[in-house]
Amino acid sequence: MAKPKVASDWMCGCAGCHMSLLDMDERIIKVAELADIRSTPITDLKVPDATGVDVGVLEGGINNTANEEQAHRMRNSCKILVALGDCAVFGGVPAMRNFFTIEESLRRAYVETESTDSEGKIPDDPELMRPTKVRSLQEVVPVDVFVPGCPPDADTIFYVLAELAQGRIPNIKGDKLHWH
Amino acid sequence: MKTIRSMVLVSSDSLSKERGAAAVYERLEEEIKRFGLQDEISLTMVGDIGRHDAVPMVIVYPEAVIYGPIKPSDVPFLVEEHLYKGRIAAGLQAPAQELTGRIAWISARAGTLPAEQRIVLERAGIIDPNSIEDYILHEGYTALGKVLTTMKPAEVIAEIQKSGLRGRGGAGFPTGTKWSFVSKSPGKPKYVVCNADESEPGTFKDRVILEGDPHSVIEAMTIAAYAVGASEGYIYVRGEYSLAQDRLHSAILQAREFGFLGKNIFETDFTFDIRIHSGAGAYICGEETALLESIEGKRGIPRTRPPFPTTNGLWGMPTVINNVETLANVPPIIRNGAVWYRRFGTPSSPGTKVYTILGNVNVTGVIEVPMGITLREVIAIYAKGMKSGGNFKLAQTGGSSGSVIPATLQDSPMDFDSFAKAGVSMGSGALLVCNEDTCVVDLAKVLINFFRRESCGKCNPCRIGTERAFEILTDISNGQGTLEDLDTLANLSEYLVQMSNCGLGQTAGTPIHDVLKYFRAEIEAHILLHVCPTGVCPMKEPAGEKA
Amino acid sequence: MKVTINDKMIEVPQGTTVLQASRLAGFDIPTLCDHPALIPYGGCRLCLVEVQGARTLQPSCTLPVNDGMVVKTESEKISAARKFVLTLLFSERNHFCPYCQVSGGDCELQNAALKEGMGNWPLPPNWQRYPVDASHEYFVIDHNRCILCRRCVRACGELVGNFTLGFEERGAKSFLVADFGVPIGQSTCISCGTCTQVCPTGAIIDRVSAYRGKVIEVEHHNSICLGCSVGCGIDVLTRDNTLVRIEGDWSAAVNGGVICKVGRFLPLDEDRQRVTTPLVRRSGALQPASWDEALYEIATALKPLVGNNGSGVAAMASTRLPAEALYAFKELFGREFHSHMVTSTEEGVTTGLAAALADELGKSFEGHLGAVQSADCILNIGVNLADNHEVVGFLVKRILPQGIKLITVDPNANPLDPQAELALHPQVGSDVEFIRGLSAAVLKAGLAKNPVEMDVDAVLVTAAMKTGLPVESIEAAAHLLALADRPAIIFGKGISAQTNNSTLKALVEFARLIGALDEKHSNLLSTKGQANSVTAAQYHLDQPLKINGHRAAFIAIGDEKPTKRLIQKLENVPFLVVQASYASQLTAMADVVLPVTIWAEQEGHYVNLEGRIQLAQQSITPEDMVWTNQAALEGVAARLGLRIDGNWKEELKKRVSMVEIS
Repeated sequence: MAKPKVASDWMCGCAGCHMSLLDMDERIIKVAELADIRSTPITDLKVPDATGVDVGVLEGGINNTANEEQAHRMRNSCKILVALGDCAVFGGVPAMRNFFTIEESLRRAYVETESTDSEGKIPDDPELMRPTKVRSLQEVVPVDVFVPGCPPDADTIFYVLAELAQGRIPNIKGDKLHWH
Repeated sequence: MKTIRSMVLVSSDSLSKERGAAAVYERLEEEIKRFGLQDEISLTMVGDIGRHDAVPMVIVYPEAVIYGPIKPSDVPFLVEEHLYKGRIAAGLQAPAQELTGRIAWISARAGTLPAEQRIVLERAGIIDPNSIEDYILHEGYTALGKVLTTMKPAEVIAEIQKSGLRGRGGAGFPTGTKWSFVSKSPGKPKYVVCNADESEPGTFKDRVILEGDPHSVIEAMTIAAYAVGASEGYIYVRGEYSLAQDRLHSAILQAREFGFLGKNIFETDFTFDIRIHSGAGAYICGEETALLESIEGKRGIPRTRPPFPTTNGLWGMPTVINNVETLANVPPIIRNGAVWYRRFGTPSSPGTKVYTILGNVNVTGVIEVPMGITLREVIAIYAKGMKSGGNFKLAQTGGSSGSVIPATLQDSPMDFDSFAKAGVSMGSGALLVCNEDTCVVDLAKVLINFFRRESCGKCNPCRIGTERAFEILTDISNGQGTLEDLDTLANLSEYLVQMSNCGLGQTAGTPIHDVLKYFRAEIEAHILLHVCPTGVCPMKEPAGEKA
Repeated sequence: MKVTINDKMIEVPQGTTVLQASRLAGFDIPTLCDHPALIPYGGCRLCLVEVQGARTLQPSCTLPVNDGMVVKTESEKISAARKFVLTLLFSERNHFCPYCQVSGGDCELQNAALKEGMGNWPLPPNWQRYPVDASHEYFVIDHNRCILCRRCVRACGELVGNFTLGFEERGAKSFLVADFGVPIGQSTCISCGTCTQVCPTGAIIDRVSAYRGKVIEVEHHNSICLGCSVGCGIDVLTRDNTLVRIEGDWSAAVNGGVICKVGRFLPLDEDRQRVTTPLVRRSGALQPASWDEALYEIATALKPLVGNNGSGVAAMASTRLPAEALYAFKELFGREFHSHMVTSTEEGVTTGLAAALADELGKSFEGHLGAVQSADCILNIGVNLADNHEVVGFLVKRILPQGIKLITVDPNANPLDPQAELALHPQVGSDVEFIRGLSAAVLKAGLAKNPVEMDVDAVLVTAAMKTGLPVESIEAAAHLLALADRPAIIFGKGISAQTNNSTLKALVEFARLIGALDEKHSNLLSTKGQANSVTAAQYHLDQPLKINGHRAAFIAIGDEKPTKRLIQKLENVPFLVVQASYASQLTAMADVVLPVTIWAEQEGHYVNLEGRIQLAQQSITPEDMVWTNQAALEGVAARLGLRIDGNWKEELKKRVSMVEIS
């Protein structure tokens, strides 16, 4: 039987959830035995197979139009979509930005920040993605599995991937369930 | 004794007063004197006469001609033409198209229903509400006299129980049973509280009673007090009802002066007095336990029940709380007996019901009709049909907490039990009739917006649930809704009923529940077709990203 | 009443709520707005249960049980309803756990959600920005995290009687406010911090302990507060041997969980410099030394003074020291040194007269705090309960809304005046005439429980003249008290620190007249002074300190702050030993300084104002060179070859006390 295909991607997060994934150490081999790991941001293949995957894992919230595309692309490529980590589940730390307007945030980042020399300039090339309000994944596309945590423990991630690889929907509760 | 040939009534509700009713009255007085008619024409300031589009109004009986709006400068012509020359003063009549006036009155002449149906509004608009003599002349305080001099408290309660009178505040609890609970509850003093905090949108039936016939409420409260053994009463009047408060205030002073309130009423051992407590603009204070909190000087937040006010009411003492309309039924029942009362209405909901009728109908205003009449009859007979020949789409009962009556229920009798069977709430006595130009999303949005603003904020389902529901309905009306939103809405309306602390939250979900039940296709059109079928909703932003 | 909960039948008394009954039956129901110390509110709707026969889900926290009631606390319907409530709460304000200090165990909202297995928020959060009120010295109110449960508001009113916190607006606009919407730091807040202790989320957080440890990471130590004679039960939270936070102990009999600023915040706001090694004056300057060296210096200087009263050692100990240390102190300097000048830092000011009166009466005459809580009329005289013994003030203020009448008598404006039925301001120094006037008014009106002979009119006239109050006011106060079923009198320094006993005696006589004091009970209570006021009185450590011809002084000040007056008195002492926790002007004057523990570093007993013997637990370990007060005194004794034996507890009962000790 073909192993289920797994793809992952990160959006507006800190990559910490993927680091936590790597914290499962040698168990990653076990995951690789159970599943066919396709594209991830930490491997060479960055874009999910055109033919689709079984499980899609997304880290991070949706912060701009590029993230929106990523989210839709993954949703369209996978059968089961996993929101990995507090940013994907709730919006997370980047969502603090929502208390300010996008203009304020951009000005702070590109003009007012202490490390800016001369006058600073807010990038405005039309080729660039457009920043939006920070949203959780489920505000943009339907999500099947929520794995909160900042980051989720390696144990939890291993459990989730192992369950999904074996065709079960993980039930995250008790020690595995935390929001911080 | 004078022989009166014509009766001239001047409207003096809040709006009429604001627009110069007093000056019109003075001018009428002068002109009537100038023509030497003062001995044959009676001139009276009356309460709210049921419409506000052309105030101040002057009504001349027996012809029942309604003039308005009348300026003092119109008065000489009116008096000369109508009262002196005996013909209608051309050009001064209220617009015929929207002829309302006392609809109950008109109905009496419509010939299709018995004229004796006026029980609660028997005097409103006819007597001078500032005159206790006028009230007494119209059988006022005879019920109290009968009770105090010939009946035992238990007999009074038995008579009310026998009449089958049910609370007109919306819940329809048997009034006699409530009184008997209070009479049996230990603890002194006991209280009688009149809930006159009428704040349901579109409902102003209680105001018509208070402004037009304040003594009827005072008399009824005194009877209730005697029946349950109470010694103090409060009338909690909505803050905006300043005229009603004035009228009640002067009525209480007069009643004290005449010995109908105070010590040794009717020269018996019975002592009772009433105080007026003004609300301050909170809808929630119409909820009986929030009302009690407010009288006690606390923040108007509903209490948790049990215990109920019948055992732990005002200041923790047994308390009768009745709605104005409920109380106004009491003196006629006592005067004429329970058997007489049961001639009106249906066996399980005897008597009449006062409605304010508004919306897309030809005639809007206040009507008093027997319990059990159908909506179709009300619209056809009293409201003179749908406005501009439009088609009936739905009616909404009892202000915001009421139910939606779809066309399929137009022939359901309007009484407590039939409505309960059909899943409709009687509500507070408003009938908002809507034609096919009404969008149900918009209607639900407007109603939930009201709850959202008026929720006291104590319990989470109501405080947050109404807020979320409003947002979702706003999204739908902006063309940004999703089908999941409908599930959320259905959940919200169900949980509001299941989980809220008081009647406000428990009924807040009703409009949503009802429109989802009867008009789901129309709502789905907003979502799936991105179209508001009636063209009411803004549908302003493209579907997709929410702001 | 028999109730069936989840098929388990239990019997509970009438008036028990379904929530209480369920917990008794072993079924926990999640709650948010409920708090055991507060009146059930029924706002959060998280505790909804299914009751057989009820149309809708019922809030278990407010619903009283009925006989034969059948309740279900767990079902799919209930779980869905709970998730729904939580979903709504998460959608209302900004509960972003990753950046909240209570996340991960200290947040009842998060705990409830995790317990329901919620992995996400079905409704998107509300991005409306709410203010953070950081105007208060000790805590911060973050409205973003507020769930509007009103626990803080209820605690502020029901427990503290301060009514500073309230809600403005209604519906979703409901908003926690202080007074009429001023910043909390500029409000009538008295900084008792009870709100910080009851807040279920991170909406009201204590500045000092924020981000310094969660419940799961700290240790708890049940102890008592040494702030004053009330002796409130506290829970001291420590982590890595440092103080993190102090909370009121909900199970404490004295205070039931409520404490004041002095107990909660001030101990963590300590900026005095600790003394960490013994210091010995060498060539005019204090030099660090070993305990051995320090004790040697002391022994050398004091040995010749043993048994030399009048010109020997004058000794003074802080009334913040535990009974064990005070006993050692008294034994050492009183019995062994034979010094006649052995006293405490209070010098008997708050207890001397009362102790003397108890001696004279041959029995105790003061009652318990319970008398205050069950009183229907309270006379508050000679003490400002807003500034001293604040928790007693809370106990008074919080029952006033029930219609309990308070009479304040104070020459100055008393902060409790606005809540008082009667606020009287007699002339300074007219207390005895005022109280006699009260007695006369009671007798005149024929309301006395045990009438005595008195020329009532003359006494009343004198009272009015001296106090400057109209006779009617004195009579009004007297009548209120005499007509009450359970009158209580709380008095303080204003009465107990006078130069003679006449006012106190007049008060006792008045208490007898109105039935506040008789053979069986007493509703008369003085607030006294510091934590071990009563112990000091029992050990006769209650005379004014006079140095006169004494050639040395031993001041066991502990962690108390020395007063200017004390420092002045000790300026010319030839040899001064100071046993202290903190460096001060006093230690700077000393010839030898012994470093001792502070309150949290030692264990020992205290007798509170109502005679209750309580144990203060050790919460943190002192530095190596810091000894407990008791150990230091024993060290001095040992070096001098003197003995300390006997039992501190027995000694307490040797003298008749003003209040029964138990």
